[in-house]
Amino acid sequence: MSIFNSDSSVTVGYRTITEALAAAPGQKTFATMWRGDDDSETVTFGEFKLQASAFAQELLREGVATGERVIVIMEQGIPLMAAFAGTMMIGAVPAILAYPNFKVDPAKYRNGLAGVSANLRARLVLVDGDFPEDLLDCISADGATVKRFGELPESGSWFSFDHAADPDDLAFIQHSAGTTGLQKGVALSHGAVLRQLDHLAERLRLRDDDRIYSWLPLYHDMGLIACFMLPLVYHLPVMMQSPTDWVMQPRTMPELITADRSTIAWVPNFALQLLARRVRPEDRADFDLSSMRALINCSEPVRAQSHDEFLSAYADSGFKREALLSSYAMAENVFAVTQSPVGFTPKRIWVNGAMLRNGHIAQVVSPSVPNALCFVSSGTCIAENRVEVTGDDGEPVDEGQVGELAVTGDSVFTGYYNRPDLTARALRGGWYWTGDLGFVLDGEVYVIGRKKDLIIVGGKNIYPQDVEEIVYAHPSIHDGRAVALGHYNEELGTEDILIIAEVESEADLANATEIERNIKAAVISELGVAARAIYLKPPRWVVKSTAGKPSRSDTREKFFAEHPEVIGVSA
Amino acid sequence: MSHAQEMIEHISKNVIRKADVQIDENTPLVSSGLIDSFALVDILMQLEDVTSLRIPAGKVQPKDMDTVALMLETAARVGKPRK
Repeated sequence: MSIFNSDSSVTVGYRTITEALAAAPGQKTFATMWRGDDDSETVTFGEFKLQASAFAQELLREGVATGERVIVIMEQGIPLMAAFAGTMMIGAVPAILAYPNFKVDPAKYRNGLAGVSANLRARLVLVDGDFPEDLLDCISADGATVKRFGELPESGSWFSFDHAADPDDLAFIQHSAGTTGLQKGVALSHGAVLRQLDHLAERLRLRDDDRIYSWLPLYHDMGLIACFMLPLVYHLPVMMQSPTDWVMQPRTMPELITADRSTIAWVPNFALQLLARRVRPEDRADFDLSSMRALINCSEPVRAQSHDEFLSAYADSGFKREALLSSYAMAENVFAVTQSPVGFTPKRIWVNGAMLRNGHIAQVVSPSVPNALCFVSSGTCIAENRVEVTGDDGEPVDEGQVGELAVTGDSVFTGYYNRPDLTARALRGGWYWTGDLGFVLDGEVYVIGRKKDLIIVGGKNIYPQDVEEIVYAHPSIHDGRAVALGHYNEELGTEDILIIAEVESEADLANATEIERNIKAAVISELGVAARAIYLKPPRWVVKSTAGKPSRSDTREKFFAEHPEVIGVSA
Repeated sequence: MSHAQEMIEHISKNVIRKADVQIDENTPLVSSGLIDSFALVDILMQLEDVTSLRIPAGKVQPKDMDTVALMLETAARVGKPRK
């Protein structure tokens, strides 16, 4: 049965997220955390409320007050979700940070955590029993205390919270791109989250028998909003697994969807290719994906090739073509700005490649025209949301012209927490300047890529500056003479990090293998993603701007002119 | 050819693809940045093929795959006969 009728003004009717949780039917299944065939945990809404209540009471005992920030760093799972909900229940403001992986450099992690903690002026940092002790040394100096939960707090009774949260009160903080220390905390109110969920649910024609599947991390907007807040507010079940378990064995996603009869899931673009290429054909024969009515490609530019590969690979698994949808979303708008409609394949167009590159205009042509480029629409705006394409002067441009996408709506954020400098740059007159390039035709939004130099690896945003700082630290690299680039890898369906760096002297090139190895090790330990390739160049190779800094665009151009084989492999 | 040699050859030839980078059974691969997590999918599938075992989902973490020696230990510990 549809939760929504055709009246877009219908809302779920709650003032706050915690009110929605309080109203959840106790017996209904909420979340299942799957870690293997013999290791999964399921809670009903009633059980989840008790767990969240226990966390809430524990926080009160710790003296956490309404409005204070609580950082939650726990492994993906139900306790993490309960801690997050419990924090909101007492009117405090939770923020989930990524759990450290085994590759992390302890010193860097400590610095990053201290940076976020200081910026949020966090009152408490909640960690689980397995969290490495040596990563916590930094926290107390910033005024926050660390609370470790080796075991879940005792689940007593439903905690009857008496703080009167207002829809305009801060609900939680989502972190956006960047290394931990430089992350931008997007502050979101209960009202903004609920309005976003209403519009999204309406566009998805959410049903009370929908079942969500997710491997997405809860510190990311797709995981937090679409796969935790949406089912919590609409009282739907969600089947989860950890991102690591999924990426190691992608077949687990169709296995779980088959077993759970899931109906909705969100994935970044690269996941579609990984599922098509890294699941054995003989395994696919066992899957039944006919229950899926919305598999939504979100968080990276939507690529036709990735859709085609997935559809072809899973045609015999019952997956319906019209169930593969697209969306354009960002933490700064809580989540979705656009969503393609359920039951229809997202619109595709072909545009004149030369006119797009040279004239920045999307002129629609026949697919058979030489050099025609195919774009997949991310859908039209959900209710109360708008996208405008803007030129370099910040003014709107004509339909079909390429420019920076600016978005506004009734869930757009009010600022980065404690960062008025960053807020002033990104948010002007109620519009958020996304840094994404795209165009709009017939109301359909097409996202081309990033205006800024942001690199997106497997849905994770990486600032090139963060990579370059790591490269500069190497003694054989000329300080300030390195450029990190994102380059689309067709094989993976996401971007690779390429590094171009000048050595201090020509003689250093003899040690290129060793230098590259050291830089790769430093990049993975600090950023958690691997650099695909490092190109060491002699002194004075990197192109500088008039300000004397490396010019990423000019260096990129010079690099590809000198290395056409890289373009040939994955242009 | 031993399982370890087969894995080393596969990783060198198909994943790292650089003639001047030599690895052995104990070379750290993930923690050193030599390979990324996307490559682990391929390596895990190869490990299943080489050992003729099925690695059950949820039983292997990146740290269990950091060296060829660890991979083979992991396969022996958690692997099950293939159908």
